[in-house]
Amino acid sequence: MKREANAIDFWRGFALITIFINHIPGIVFDRFTSKNFSISDSAELFVFLAGWSLRLIVGREDRPRPMPQIVFRLGGRAITLYAAHMMIGMIAIAILASASIVLDNPLLLEWHNAAAVFFDPVNTHIGMALLSHQLGYFDILPLYVVLMVIAPLVAAIDRYLPRLLLPLSIAIYLTALSVPITIPTWPTEGQWFFNPLCWQLVFVLGFVMAKPSGIGGFVRRHIRPIRWLALPMVIGGAIMVIYDIYPDPVDMPEPKLLFIVGKTFVTPIRLIQFLALVAVFSAAYGYIRKLGPRLVEPISMLGRNSLEVFCVGSVLSLLGQVVRFQTGGSYAIDTGLVATGVTILFLTAWLAEWQDRVTKAPAT
Amino acid sequence: MKLLPAFLALMVLAFSRPALAQAPAEIAAVPKECVGPGANDVQDPYLPNVAAALRDRKKIVILAIGSTSATMRGPIRGGYYAIVERILEKAFKPLDVVIIHRGVSGELAADAASRIKTEIALTKADLVLWQVGTADALAHVPIYEFRNTVTGQIRWLKEHKVDVILVGLRYAASLAKDPYYLGIRNIISDVAEKEKVIRLRRYDAEQALSKLNRDTAEGFDFAQNSEASSICTAEYIARAIAAGLFIKKAPPRPGTPGALPSAPAN
Repeated sequence: MKREANAIDFWRGFALITIFINHIPGIVFDRFTSKNFSISDSAELFVFLAGWSLRLIVGREDRPRPMPQIVFRLGGRAITLYAAHMMIGMIAIAILASASIVLDNPLLLEWHNAAAVFFDPVNTHIGMALLSHQLGYFDILPLYVVLMVIAPLVAAIDRYLPRLLLPLSIAIYLTALSVPITIPTWPTEGQWFFNPLCWQLVFVLGFVMAKPSGIGGFVRRHIRPIRWLALPMVIGGAIMVIYDIYPDPVDMPEPKLLFIVGKTFVTPIRLIQFLALVAVFSAAYGYIRKLGPRLVEPISMLGRNSLEVFCVGSVLSLLGQVVRFQTGGSYAIDTGLVATGVTILFLTAWLAEWQDRVTKAPAT
Repeated sequence: MKLLPAFLALMVLAFSRPALAQAPAEIAAVPKECVGPGANDVQDPYLPNVAAALRDRKKIVILAIGSTSATMRGPIRGGYYAIVERILEKAFKPLDVVIIHRGVSGELAADAASRIKTEIALTKADLVLWQVGTADALAHVPIYEFRNTVTGQIRWLKEHKVDVILVGLRYAASLAKDPYYLGIRNIISDVAEKEKVIRLRRYDAEQALSKLNRDTAEGFDFAQNSEASSICTAEYIARAIAAGLFIKKAPPRPGTPGALPSAPAN
């Protein structure tokens, strides 16, 4: 039986639509997404909600799931994510190759870090399998795979040494920022766009905040004053983004990553602003549900089927880029792309639930 | 690689400008295939901050960033930047050249610009090699936005005593008459001119090779073309850096902002 619409699925669905639009650079609707008004963007929301969802998997505090069951389930999820990443990566390569032939433009073979696939295929195929080679805009699922691989450890620490989890996660985060430590790519030289050593904290925070006791419980009990404290941060963050008044990274003291804004390392400024955003907008779902109940269910449906929707959305975004490249982009083209894309995302989610219903329906 | 010699010769024509100054003998020689009339220079080659780094530390830190792939065929880790590094280190012993790769293929100039600031703070690079324009052109970013982004970023780098070399658009026959693509190309040229920074014109060279292919009825091989252009781009980047280390400051042009400080007396 499908889950009722809820805030988690709704915001995850919202993030999926936003990611779909943001992954078509240059599209006019990109200007209306949250990244234009917020230091953090939908990536933080997506990873935070993944951590929140982990809480549902480990079970309630009074009725926890057995650890072996958690390990198998999360391991299975990691394999599913890995397979999904491989699949959409291969589709993306095929899209770029096809587009380069059809549009007679070999430059498309080098788009989004695909050049190594075509020019150095022996090493790059190994790199893709090892997740050390990632295509541009296809780089968040490798982070997810890593998070799912460490998720059993996160769940175990939370169960047996709950007070250790957040401090340990923060210690890893601060170490990665202070040294700094990055995860290198191979065979092309570079680093993971989403540094897992830093982004794990967003995941752990989602997991910790979802817990009715501990810090999660404290936040729930004091959410009103926290929202008032968070509101100026959200407004301040919006002003920073709109007027482009970020601190100059060169002028910051060492270790600089503690004081500058950066997505790769999800630096403290981004992280704090994101948490403030969560605090403020946690109040919004109730109002949205009242004002637009017909909006809540379909968007929650996207969130309930996030992996399928994300994969289809990633491929559609790349197709959208090719269409914009060929047509030049315009209000009409961009509107058509977003309307078609979002419709297909809803269709994907609906099909996933339809298939689930058919599979689970008793045979007559 | 049978097209390489012809391509290198065409690169010479593409990168040619009236000579500003003769580089000292220590400057790495460009392979003879690349050398031709007027090829031993680039416009306004002076790189004061790289020169200072060489003088003070015997070490140059270069940040390679931007949207175009630096990948070459075969297991050449570091792409064509590895060639740049090798040429410079061989020419300027015991100079230590460190090239830090932070390019994200397909990344728009606006996104790269914000990352450049962070990476400069972290790496303390003396020089930025910015491959700019191709992703913006493919994504049809508004021209005025692109111009503002590139101009703003170059000025920021200058304020922070970091030199910059722009590596311009790639060539594709199907885009040769595309007004938008050419518009982006012109913007890069215009900004480089106004801001007095070095621009390497990869487009022109690849265009010439493409023409040669058609004229000689050779089968068009993009991989070969890309490889050859990468090798020559590396040669010219190395040469531009080398020239920038030794050439005295260029006289300021009318209407351009303040003169740069003098080069070290090497």
